[in-house]
Amino acid sequence: MSDGLSSRRGFLASSAVLAGTALAGCSGGTASSSDAVTLGILEDRSGNFALVGDPKHKASLLAIEEINADGGIMGNEIEVFDPDPQSDNQRYQELTDRAIRQENVDALWAGYSSATREAIRPIINRNEQLYFYTTQYEGGVCDKTTFAVGPTARQQLGTVLPYLREEFGPDIYTIAADYNFGQLSADWVKVLANENDANVLGEEFIPLSETDFSSTINNIQEADPDFVMSMLVGANHTSFYEQKASAGLDIPIGTSTAMAQGYEHRRISPPAMANIYAGVNYMEEVPTESNTNDGGFVDRYFDMYPDAPYLNEEAETNYFSMYMYKEAVEQAGTFEQPEVIEALESGISLGTERAPEAPEGQTIELDGATHHVDHHMWVMKADEDHNIEAVENRKVPETFLSETVGCDLREEAEQTQYTPVDYYQEAK
Amino acid sequence: MVNGVNLFFQFLDSFGFIVLSAIGLAIIFGMMGVINLAHGELIMIGAYGTTLSFNAGAPLLLAMAVGVISAAAAGLVIERTIVKRLYQRPLDSMVATWALGLAMTQMVRIIFGNSLSGIGLPLGAIQYGQFSYSMYRTLLSVVALVVLLGAYVVFTRTEFGIRARATIQDDDTARAMGIDTDRMYTATFVIGCALAGLTGALYAPALAVVPGMGSSFLVEAFVAVVTGGTSVLLGTTLAAGVLGTANAFFTNLYGTFIGQVAMLIVAILILRFLPTGLSGVVETVRGQMERES
Amino acid sequence: MSEHSLIDRFRGRFEGPNTIGNSRGFWVGFAVALAVAFAYPIFVSNYQAGNLALFLIYAILALSLSVVWGYSGVLSFGQVVFFGFAGYTFGIVTLNIQSTVGIMMAIPIAVGVATLVAFTLGYFMFYGKVTGVFVAIITLVSTIVLQTFMAQTAGSEWAIGKAQLGGFNGMPGIPNIALGVGETSVAFSGKLFYWLCLVLLVLSYFGLRALTNGRFGYAMVGVREDEDRVEMLGYDIRKVKLTVFTVGGAIAGLAGVLYAAWGNYIDPTVFSLTFATFPVIWVTVGGRESLLGAVLATVSLEWFRQQLAITGSEYALVVVGLLLLVVVLVLPDGIVPYVHEKAVSAYREYNDEVDRSVGSSTEEEIPE
Repeated sequence: MSDGLSSRRGFLASSAVLAGTALAGCSGGTASSSDAVTLGILEDRSGNFALVGDPKHKASLLAIEEINADGGIMGNEIEVFDPDPQSDNQRYQELTDRAIRQENVDALWAGYSSATREAIRPIINRNEQLYFYTTQYEGGVCDKTTFAVGPTARQQLGTVLPYLREEFGPDIYTIAADYNFGQLSADWVKVLANENDANVLGEEFIPLSETDFSSTINNIQEADPDFVMSMLVGANHTSFYEQKASAGLDIPIGTSTAMAQGYEHRRISPPAMANIYAGVNYMEEVPTESNTNDGGFVDRYFDMYPDAPYLNEEAETNYFSMYMYKEAVEQAGTFEQPEVIEALESGISLGTERAPEAPEGQTIELDGATHHVDHHMWVMKADEDHNIEAVENRKVPETFLSETVGCDLREEAEQTQYTPVDYYQEAK
Repeated sequence: MVNGVNLFFQFLDSFGFIVLSAIGLAIIFGMMGVINLAHGELIMIGAYGTTLSFNAGAPLLLAMAVGVISAAAAGLVIERTIVKRLYQRPLDSMVATWALGLAMTQMVRIIFGNSLSGIGLPLGAIQYGQFSYSMYRTLLSVVALVVLLGAYVVFTRTEFGIRARATIQDDDTARAMGIDTDRMYTATFVIGCALAGLTGALYAPALAVVPGMGSSFLVEAFVAVVTGGTSVLLGTTLAAGVLGTANAFFTNLYGTFIGQVAMLIVAILILRFLPTGLSGVVETVRGQMERES
Repeated sequence: MSEHSLIDRFRGRFEGPNTIGNSRGFWVGFAVALAVAFAYPIFVSNYQAGNLALFLIYAILALSLSVVWGYSGVLSFGQVVFFGFAGYTFGIVTLNIQSTVGIMMAIPIAVGVATLVAFTLGYFMFYGKVTGVFVAIITLVSTIVLQTFMAQTAGSEWAIGKAQLGGFNGMPGIPNIALGVGETSVAFSGKLFYWLCLVLLVLSYFGLRALTNGRFGYAMVGVREDEDRVEMLGYDIRKVKLTVFTVGGAIAGLAGVLYAAWGNYIDPTVFSLTFATFPVIWVTVGGRESLLGAVLATVSLEWFRQQLAITGSEYALVVVGLLLLVVVLVLPDGIVPYVHEKAVSAYREYNDEVDRSVGSSTEEEIPE
């Protein structure tokens, strides 16, 4: 039987629960007011992807603040619905549903991983919601209301692989995370190797949870390639670079995933990242005027967030896509999503007064047919002290959907994802 | 084709990793029946303590000591406030420690951010032919053996150890004989946490130091503890040996994914066919041999 | 007279010492709450109904663990294995047979697969004399194996018929539940889907109430309390455990089908360690030995966690962790048994007071 003390404690505990629930209930259910535009920003600030998701959230808010300070979009102030999905796909589904059907967001930015994108795409498609997916990914999404504006694997690997082939030789060994993105990127390495007169000596796929790379390092030593292509993903895989340096493995490594997203070159002691070449559309160190000059993107970001550790690849994509949205709305003259999508499909360029140029470079363009971006790509090399140098840069258009597949969303509305194995023999 | 020398090094690496992942958990579970689901977070605290001190300028060994002490201190607080109320309720201790781990991971994220600058792996590489292996990671397998040996000595040869085992076997009698059982439980728990902290401290140079890093040790820890069976130290050693061999062998042949799966399947088979665990088998055999002689 | 005993007999099947709430007061309250639950979608939007439906699906999953753990003492982290198997099977069948007939076939097939998996795993464990915490560990390890395995099924070679397993990215395009054929078919989404989930939840709850209050229920509770004694009474405890485990698997499978249809999507995170732990958390907070507790705790906890996520506060996870900690420490039997106990003792005290005041007046009348 309960004595006085435990029943009092029990009472306190259950009333705490009830109070908490009631309080939480008060904060729920906010519908947007009709004369402001509401944008949904669902980015991870806790959980596995917090490291890479947090800068995305911050950069979106930076763009929104700049736009609001400048009078908003067509005179309307932007309001934000930005809960924390906690790197949890079920949470993403719930919050996306809420964003679309309760908060009535006019546009949605959501998710880091491709799995998240796929988890919420049914909800997005059902509601025909305008959706910007801003992470680098494997490519191939041809979807009427989705704008995958991050760089694709073909664009990224297609920048760095030819450069390394020229510099170091034709023999490649691929190491990749053992899931869709890693496997598809490895397929692209085979396609690009074929196009650049190189050979893939071997491929190795490593589960996302793996932290021990000793056998991988031995396999690389056995294969003895001219350079390694690495599509390792996540915190666990970061230890590869540490361990390879400690084992004395000194081979050049081309990557689409390291440094630009998780700033390993700042987190790991030199010289672990020496001779790593990142093929990316953006890193904090990209030397363009709009990025590194005084008052440029980097300055503005750290003014707003002085404690932020790094300004990563995806953050820049979140940033410029916000301006693309603004430009499209002002072109369309309305916030209605079908019209804005039409405006986006007619071609958006940045570098005007109402939509400044993207920090990665002046020449980027949104390809209306495929909803992807022709990016300005860079090859960024880290040296022994982890200083970053841009060794090559050029504009790389998206070619897989536009040329190989023939996806044109202006002509035919689709909701598909295409993969290289269906189009290239050598990817099999 | 299996490369013998590579396989040997990979086995040592796997063995060391499994032993160090499991030892803290094994002591707490084996001796007290408490399933500490915050084990990963205690490893994380050890790693954070080490990395923060190292980045503040301390030499590596001192930084590691700081890591161990941080984890031990955390263990002390946890035991005094939470775990001691849950000794008769092992399943509730599981839920409570899981909840605690959740809160701890997020608090560390809030206070220290999403990651810390890492410590580099010291000691360079062992070269053999066209291959090389990290000296440090090979050393960790030796450290693992030392830890096992040390724990054995403490729990069988010291007064403290004998009292601790007495308490755990029959705490009423132990108390009747004048042993302060509360302090024994606390001490054992703290030792388990200190060992978890040691694991974190030792692996901090080899891994990315992020709030969620503890979870990469959990699978191996739990699997080893359970396949090890009733005798804590013997069980952990045998489990690490068997599972490490399975892991290294299949990884060497087919890659890390198959290696992981093979290890887990071996564990399931052991659990199914040897319900008292690997150490249970050894003790049965030893008992039989004693009877026959 | 016969009408009275008919209701009593009906009620008798669902009442007993093994479940909370055997009085008329309880059933009246229950009926009111149920009426409110049924009326809910009428007053809220499609979104809110669909959102609550997800919590009802989780409640069904919690029930599956409640019967296995709370009533038979078998702690299983594996409920999500059956949940996931059913969800994936539902997806595979419906993506291959793309019609309402396909959907109607997929439901029993998926639940059947989950039941079979549960039976197999249960046989492997219980007939191998695996008990107690080792069951927990084996089920835990199986979730991890499944998650690692499913996460790498990314290539197009990993397809069953037209359905690609999708690996880490999951399997999208799973249709809503639909019943009927061709023109007369009804697709369940939004409010209709909510009602479907609610009906299934109530049926599961009553089904399990009947099970736990019947003869088999006493065997289950006996196994939980004292296995050896039950065995000596002639029960085959392995069979008891296996049966319960299989039933739990079937119910978890049902929840899995609903889940896949809710999000039109499923991915390997249903096998993750985190998600595998949730049913344990829900059932512990609600009261291990209480079916009703499992349901109420699941819905409130999940709703609470969602509200915290919406605030975007970085302390969301800390609050959840600390709250759970407090509940486990302070209310060892869970919230619902505690509340029930308080309610019952308060009611009794009230009755005693009434009796006393009535009694004192009668006492005066007794002549002495």
